Formats: sequence, structure tokens, C-alpha cells
Amino acid sequence: MDDMSSSIKKVLVVFLFFFFAVITYITYFEIAVAPKIVNSTLNKRTWVKRNEVLRGTIYDRNMVALTKSEKVDELTQKRQYTGNDVFAHVLGYVNIKYGITGLEKKYDSELMADDTSILDIFNIDKNPTPKVGHNLITTLDSKLQSKAYELLGDNIGAIVALDPKTGEILALVSKPSYDPNNLEKIWTDLNKNKNSPLINRATAGLYPPGSTFKIITALSALENIGGIQNRTFKDNGKLVFNSKESLSNFGGEVLGNLSFRNAFIHSSNVVFGGLGEELGNTKLKTEAEKFYFNANIPSDGVTIENSMFPKLAKNEIGNIAQSAIGQSTVLATPMEMALVAATIANGGVMMEPYLVKEVTKSDGTKIKAIEGKPIGTIISPSNSSIMKDLMLGVVKEGTGTNANVPGIEICGKTGTADHKEGGGNLAPHAWFVGFAPYASPTIALAIIVEDGGQGGIIAANIASGLIKEYLGS
Amino acid sequence: MNTLKDEKRLVRFTYIFCLLGFFALSLLKTPIDKEAYVMGVITCILFGYSYFVIRRFFPDGDKFIFIFVGILSIIGIMTLYGIKMPSSIKQMIWFAVGVTIYILIVILLPDLKSFMKYKNTYLILTLLFMSMTIIFGTEKNGSKNWIVFYGFMVQPSEFGKIFLCAYLASALKDYKEHKDLLIPAIVVMVSLLFMVFQKDLGTALILFGISVTMLYIATAKLKYILVCFVLFGIGSVISYQLFDHVRLRIMIWRNPWLYASDKSLQIVQSMFSIASGGLFGVGLGQGHPEFVPVSQTDFIFPVICEEMGILMGFAIIIIYFLLFYRCMRAAFYVEDKFSRLLAVGLSAMTACQVIVIIGGVTNMIPLTGITMPFISYGGSSMVISFISLGIIQKISEDWSW
Repeated sequence: MDDMSSSIKKVLVVFLFFFFAVITYITYFEIAVAPKIVNSTLNKRTWVKRNEVLRGTIYDRNMVALTKSEKVDELTQKRQYTGNDVFAHVLGYVNIKYGITGLEKKYDSELMADDTSILDIFNIDKNPTPKVGHNLITTLDSKLQSKAYELLGDNIGAIVALDPKTGEILALVSKPSYDPNNLEKIWTDLNKNKNSPLINRATAGLYPPGSTFKIITALSALENIGGIQNRTFKDNGKLVFNSKESLSNFGGEVLGNLSFRNAFIHSSNVVFGGLGEELGNTKLKTEAEKFYFNANIPSDGVTIENSMFPKLAKNEIGNIAQSAIGQSTVLATPMEMALVAATIANGGVMMEPYLVKEVTKSDGTKIKAIEGKPIGTIISPSNSSIMKDLMLGVVKEGTGTNANVPGIEICGKTGTADHKEGGGNLAPHAWFVGFAPYASPTIALAIIVEDGGQGGIIAANIASGLIKEYLGS
Repeated sequence: MNTLKDEKRLVRFTYIFCLLGFFALSLLKTPIDKEAYVMGVITCILFGYSYFVIRRFFPDGDKFIFIFVGILSIIGIMTLYGIKMPSSIKQMIWFAVGVTIYILIVILLPDLKSFMKYKNTYLILTLLFMSMTIIFGTEKNGSKNWIVFYGFMVQPSEFGKIFLCAYLASALKDYKEHKDLLIPAIVVMVSLLFMVFQKDLGTALILFGISVTMLYIATAKLKYILVCFVLFGIGSVISYQLFDHVRLRIMIWRNPWLYASDKSLQIVQSMFSIASGGLFGVGLGQGHPEFVPVSQTDFIFPVICEEMGILMGFAIIIIYFLLFYRCMRAAFYVEDKFSRLLAVGLSAMTACQVIVIIGGVTNMIPLTGITMPFISYGGSSMVISFISLGIIQKISEDWSW
């Protein structure tokens, strides 16, 4: 008819295009986005399903209840953590607003599993039996866990305690901690806190292992250098690589002429740095990787970050020497170092760390029992017994005498790890790894206290307290 | 062209849809919820009677407009019944009020041509309604675009939109050269500015859509449209720089997952809702509208998608397009320029509103809270939508089939 009519047609087409674009976008959303988001813990619909079942209880190894759940109303149930801050990292939390973490997440499907059989559908009852999830019996020892929590005090750090024969996790503490019963109130503070209380330092904290790494260097030397035990080393207090780089002992100590054993128990940086140079990066790295550095450690119930050992070029002599004493860019989790100690304690066989021993129905009948699984033979029995003797020496007459408990033979290795994140001149991290009793070890430990100073003091003291608690009575 | 047979078939399907929907809703309670039957029957009677009145007394006009609107309203009433029963009853009353106003407009309004001379009145009323909330407004859901009027919450900008259409129609009908566009352009810009100040970005987008559409119909010149888009682009950048609330919207749109538990809670819950429904939905009244914020008004589309599936969502979008098509068809056939522009403006208003809100709740475009015409709960939105359709219906009566 006129301009206007043809314009109207064009406008119709433009709007048709827009409507079609909306439909296309929704189709895209349904295909590409929806499947990814629908099971997000932020989607409250998943919690409605979750709340149909009363969450199962988590117990420690002696059947002490660590959690308690009760129904509040149709949509919500209240989960209480009886240990408050003490078990926060290892158990995690389950919260409609903040999601699920820790063991609660790992064993979510078991805790929510209900035993209602398909036949119950026909049982039309006005008051159906409440659905209750499965219970977990963990490997944790709540007394040891509480003691570890108490011994760390106000320090920042972590403690891992394992049964070296089975891989059972006896205690897993990370500090600073938080009260999982009180998340709504403290959530903003938790996220603002520069010490990141939400991080589980025991399994996810990556620290330079310092002299505790000498265990691995010593093993590499035992495997690769013949007659190493009979050699005499010279320690003049300083190992010079070139005009700029050198390595000294802790506190500038000069140890003089000493045997391999003495170099280990007095933790000579000069000797072990020199051994690192002699072994080279490849051999050190191979040894570290045997202990699952740079790899996923098989485990159950916990998430372990990968520890790291660097790949270095031949001419980086300084770094190679530093890596042999657990500095440079070597990083290890407390769990990793506990496993190193546990492997030596167990005659060279590394056991998979695990947290849940048994899954039971709400009435207590056993559904599943979990046994310790060996990960593999990492070192030979003879080398492990040599290391045991060396580590016994550390606590008896070396750097770790503070770990001593009268009447118990304790093996260990201290570490004092320099670190310089943020550029400041910070106190070194204090480490102690070890196991006891010497004859037939039942507990292996790794302790780190951030900025704790000398490992032989604060960390060794904590080790002594823990071993006394576990083996004392 | 006789469409009686098609119309009757569509009306019959609508009855079946309505009765089945309320039947499904009645089964959700034990013992069976008899009120749902009552609601279903009353809704059908209301719809059928209105159709009968329009058919009987105004056989010349376009009946499909009312039928499409009826289907959309029934979907709204049904969904609201599942969300909150009292709202559903109120919505049905508003539907009745809306239909009455719609019929009254068609009966009582004199020939629309006589309205073209009040250009300056429209101008004043437009600016008055657009600016009203800056003085009297109360803030609700993050936008300061409501006033409380004798206990009723009213959105003046809703009325402002209609007056803007009327003003633009009366001003643009006489378009001959550039300078005729100057004053309308200023009026539109001032209105947009008011909307941005009131944090009502959705309405701003709709006003822009209406103005551009009407401008193109009146002038048929693409260069004006280009100029409009360039100006709009500049305006958007400036308001992005100036206003925190604009920046916030964009930030949420770009990554809603970063702020999922506070700032972007609405959009994230809306997306969960749509995603949970899948193709066919979880069933009428069986979704979780309690998790979706403002589920009765701005976010009713996600609720519908959750309960009846995205297929129903598509159906709704298609019905809206068909409604838009019938409205534009009225504009196509009418001779008089003013009526034509008015019909185009009012149709574009409804269509833009649908695109902006559906695009918003799916995070296709930044979310801005506006209602879905005929479906969202609320008297002000319902009445305005029916007034604009009444005017279009009246325009469609002006020419014979």
C-alpha cells in the first residue's frame, strides 16, 4: 500500500527474529548450561531430596559420636558437630548455604543412603518409618585428635597421625580452625581472615619440608652410593657453589669430621647438600617420586594435594643442593611427610591412608568394612631398618631429643624450613616427623608449626606429648 | 474471511487446557482440593463469557487478540494457584476487571481519530507519570518505581508508557522533515533518563524499543534508527560509568556464579528453576517456587518452565508472538496514521516487555525486573495490558473484514 505497510512487515520480521533468538537461547541453555548447574549445591532443590533422609552419624574408632542430626521440619535438619572446632577440617560440614566439604562430602551418598526397600512402597502407612542414612565408623581417635588440637595451641599449623601398619588416619588437625556449628555467624570473618581457617592444612597445606626431607635424600644415597655408611664427611660449616651462592648449617654450626649417621642425626646441611650434588636431580627426584611426590596419593575419605619436587637442570647446583635439604622449590603436605615416616615404620611398605573403617545401617548392622590397602613397597626392608636406626638416633642423641618420652623408644626427624613468601624475614616453619615405638611402630606422625622456629623445639615437644597420650597408658 | 470455526476450536482447546490444569492441581492435596475445580470452572466461564460478548456485539473486530490474551491469563492464574492460592483468586478478579475495561474501551471510546489532537496533553502526562516516583516513590526490589496510592502499589511508569505511545503517535503522524523529530526525541530522552534514575532499566529498554519502532514506522528511514542506536550506545556507556546500579547489573550478567549467594541470588535461582524443569517440567504445582525470588511477578517465567517444562515456555513465547502479529495486523489494515502508529507502539510495548523479561530471567541479557504481560500477578500490570489491547481492539474494529 505505502511505505508504512512495508515498514510494518519489516518490523514484524525484526521482532520475529528477537522472539526466535530468545527461543534459541533457551534451547542452548537447556542443552549446554542446565545439566552443569542443576546438581549444584546452591540449587536448593537438591537439598529437598537430601532432607528426605536423616543424615547418618559419624563415629570415631571407639564409637564416640562426632555428629548428631535431627529433623527440624520437612525441609531442614540440624547437623551438630559434637567436637566443635576440633574435627572441623577432617569431617567438613554440610550446609544449605555453604555447601558440603570434607568427609561429609566424600561419603555423602552413604550418609544419605536410606534402607527403605522397594517393597515399602506398598506399605501404605499413615506414619511411615523415618528414613535414616547410613552411619560411618571412622579411624579417628577422638582422644588423640583432641590432644593434638590442644597441643598446637594458638599456633598455626597441622598434625597428621597414622597407624603405619594399616594406614588408618588417627588424627588430622589443622589450625586455625572454626566451629562448623556456627557457620552463619562466622562465615564472613572466615573468608576475610588472612590465615584462611577453611583450608585443611594437614592435607592441602604445601610447605617446604626442610630437613625432614633428608630422610628421602639419605635413602637415595643408601640406594645409589655404595659404602656411604662408612664414609667420613667433612663439615666446615659452609658449602660454597659459586661466588654468590652457598649453604650453611642451622645457626652457622661447624660439625667437623663426621660419619653418615652423625651427619643425619645432627642434620648437617653441608653434608646433605653435598650428597644432593653428588646424587644429582634425577636420582633425588626418582626417590621423591617413589614416595608419591608429583603424583596423586591413593587415599580414601580425604583429599590430598600433590606434593612437589622440582625438575632441575644439571648446572643449577645450588638448587640441587637446596632440594636435597628440602628447600628450593620442594613442597610437601604434612600428610605426605607422615606417609614417609609411616612407610619407614612399616618396613618399606606404604599403606593407603583412609578415614572410614566401617559403614553400618542405622540399627548398627555392618554393611561394609574397609581394610588397609598397601600402596606398594617403596623401599627395601634393609634400608628401612637402617633409616629406623638413624631416626632413633635423632631423638636419642641428635636434634630431636625434645621428643623423648621416658620408657618409649621414639624415631624421628626434625626440620626447620626457611620460607620467604611475602618477602619478609619470617621465622622458619618447625617440623617433626616420626613414629613410635621403635620395635613395632603403632603411630606415625607429622607435625608442622608455621613460623614455629626450630623444629627440634616446638614440633618435637608436640610429638612427645602426642606419643605419650597415645602409647602412655 | 470467516474465522469463526478456527476461533471456536481454539476456544474449546482453551477450556480443556484450563480444566485439565486445575484438575491436575486438585490432585495435589489429600483429600482432593475442590476449590481448584471451582477456580477452573469460574475461569472457563469468565473466559467463555468474555469471548461471547466480544463475538456477539463486535463481530467486526479481531477475536484472536482476546483468545491469545485469555490463554496467557489462564496460564498465569493456574501457575499462581500453585504458588499461592489467594494470589490466584485476586489475579482472576484482576483478569475480570481487565476484561471489563477492555470491553468498555471498545464500546465507550469514540473513534480514535478524535484523540489525535491532544498532543500536548499526552506530552505533559507522559512526563508527569515518568517523573512521579522520583518525588513520591518507594523503593521495592531494588527499583524506585512504585508509589503507594490508597493502599495500592502502583507503577506510574506503566501508565507513562501508554501516554508516551499516544504522544509519539500524535507527534510523528505529521512527520515531514528532520526538525519534526526534535521535540519527540527530547521527550523520549528525558523519559529514559527518569527511568535510569529510578533504577528501572527494564522500562527504559522498553521505552527505547517502543520509540525506535514507532520512529521507523513513521519515517521508514534506517538512518534515524542507526542514529538512535548510536545515541543509545553512548547513553548506555555513560550510565555505566555514572551509576553503580547499572554496573552491578552488567557485572552480575557477565558472571552470575561469582556472587551466587547474595548479589546474583535472583538470577541464579531463576536459572536453577528453569534447569530443574527440563523439557516437560516437574508438574503443575509441584515445583519449588519458594526458592525463586519474586516468583509471582517478575520471575513467573522460570516457575512456569520448572513446572510445565521449557516446551510450555516456548509455547508462551510463540503465543506472545502471535498476539504481536495480530496486533500489528490491525495496524497494517487501518487507514488513519495516528491509529496505526498507536497500534504499532502499543504492540511493540508488549512484545519488548516479553523479550526483556524472558531474556532477563534466563541471563541472556542483563536482568531487569519487569512483569510479564497478562501472566504476572498484579493489578497494575494486568489493567495496563488490557487497556493497551483494548485500544488495539478498537483500532481493529475500524476497518471491515
